[in-house]
Amino acid sequence: MKNNVFNASICLCLLVISMTVAANAYTTPESIVASGKVYVSQVTYDPAVFFTDDTGTVTIDVTNGNSNQSIVLNHATFSDNNIRRMSGTYDTSANIGPLQTRSFVFSVAARASEGTYYPTFSLSFRDADSLWERTMVQVDNTPLELTVQNKPDTFTQGSKDTISVTVANPRKNDVKNVKVEVSGTGITATPSTIFIGKLASGASNSVNFTVTPAQETTLDLAVKYNNGDNIHTVTTDLPIVFGIDKKQANPVISNVQVKSEAGIYHITGDVTNAGLEPANSVIVTTLSPAVPHDPYKTYVVGALKPDDFASFEVTFSADNGSTIPLQLSFKDTDGNVFTSVQDVKVAPGATSSQKNGDTNLLPVIAGLIIVGIFVGGWVLYLRRNKK
Amino acid sequence: MKRSFADLIVTPNVFFQQLMVEKENIRMPGLIVLAAGIIAAAYAYLIGGLTAKLMAGILPGLETIITLTSVIGAFIATFIIWILASGLFYAFSFAFGGKGQFNRMLEAVGYGYLPQVFGTIINLIVASVFLPRVIIPNLAAASAQDPQVMLDATKALMHDPAMMSLTQITSFVSIVFLLWSANIWIFGVKYSRGLSLRDAAICVLIPAVGYSLYSMYVLTVI
Repeated sequence: MKNNVFNASICLCLLVISMTVAANAYTTPESIVASGKVYVSQVTYDPAVFFTDDTGTVTIDVTNGNSNQSIVLNHATFSDNNIRRMSGTYDTSANIGPLQTRSFVFSVAARASEGTYYPTFSLSFRDADSLWERTMVQVDNTPLELTVQNKPDTFTQGSKDTISVTVANPRKNDVKNVKVEVSGTGITATPSTIFIGKLASGASNSVNFTVTPAQETTLDLAVKYNNGDNIHTVTTDLPIVFGIDKKQANPVISNVQVKSEAGIYHITGDVTNAGLEPANSVIVTTLSPAVPHDPYKTYVVGALKPDDFASFEVTFSADNGSTIPLQLSFKDTDGNVFTSVQDVKVAPGATSSQKNGDTNLLPVIAGLIIVGIFVGGWVLYLRRNKK
Repeated sequence: MKRSFADLIVTPNVFFQQLMVEKENIRMPGLIVLAAGIIAAAYAYLIGGLTAKLMAGILPGLETIITLTSVIGAFIATFIIWILASGLFYAFSFAFGGKGQFNRMLEAVGYGYLPQVFGTIINLIVASVFLPRVIIPNLAAASAQDPQVMLDATKALMHDPAMMSLTQITSFVSIVFLLWSANIWIFGVKYSRGLSLRDAAICVLIPAVGYSLYSMYVLTVI
């Protein structure tokens, strides 16, 4: 038993000695000189600047500067406490030919706060010692800047307004897939998503979109972008509060007169633009219970510049004594439609023109005269016949 | 003895005096009423077509039904009115001791329809002039669910200026030609029922004038 243990120990020692001898068998002064010509030619981080907790890659290019000798590599790794390697090391032997370059790629995660870090790349040669290289990488949490560049003084319900925003990149690296998203309850935004694409460091880009609010709400603006493969978002809110546009067109109906002719009511009047902006496509018409009637079911006044006025006439049929809603609509320069309704009383006494009475009574009077002549003639004829 | 329509129009007294010596025959009066019925149907085709267009949007096929109903109704109504008018005069004449067959009364009233033929032709011409100017409101299928909309549309149609003018002119023409017919009917009733001219005039003028006054009243309320 003792002899067996002894023999095993002897074998193990011989094995270790033989391996050590084998490992050092290729280390020669020439190989050490040759390995000295191997260098890290390029280190590339993607993204170039990390956010905290971003993941990415580091690509290290190793070049063999020997013009006539290959170099055998045993092991390559990348390590740091803050910029942590997430992928494995290179553990198999590899050969770099003369004047050739080989890339080593490692997945890394920036588990660090803002700052500059120096992870280490190490490379083991088969026939010499190792190569150590310190790389530099930055962690910067500065986000993109989103600025509302232009917006209307006030918002109006149902009115389409244009908003301009600028997206700026104050970071030290480029970002990609930049897009602006517009949303909000009761808001129709066009377009709701605007794609910008790549935004270089220090660059900015302005985008315009229109919003039509149906209610007072908050407009949510979000800029989404990729730092490397990591998605980041910057948001800002824009309160949508309705108010009165001090400059907007303000067509006012005045000098309203109502008359009826052959059962058809005619409303005539003037429309004056009391606002400071033009009113386009001004249209006047009547609403239920009125039944619009030709020739003026609707009256297109057209464009009215500030302080301009024009006459209008609408025709309709309705019950006597009813109140008729008179609708005025116009468009602003952006094509937003505004409507206002003004009630007009159709009073039977005041509205029936003299012409109306003549029209109705003329055939009746004529008929009565004919009937009177006919009956009178017969009475006379009968009296004369009786005599 | 040979009689002409000119005699009927110019000297109805002589026409019916001569007619009474012959056996009653309602074939010629029936043809006159038939002519009046055909022209009335043509007139109804124009007016009914207007209503049909108004209702066309409510139900597919309704347009044809309304037009057909109007045409057939007007044609049949002409004959019904002939019989009703004859019956009315016949009944009134009883109050004055009138005697004679109802067929004779039908014959006399039928002849008196001749002016109605002319009157309806004039109305037909007037309608063909005015109806194209009438603007017909459009009714959607959903309108059938709302009687107020139907009412408003009908009012709008009736109050259309061209429609108003047409109604007034045709009413006036109808009254004139009704009185012309009444003039003939007085002599027809006199001879067919053996009444005095005064009694016959009372029998005819009361309903004829009454109807004329009613027509004028309707004109004032539309």
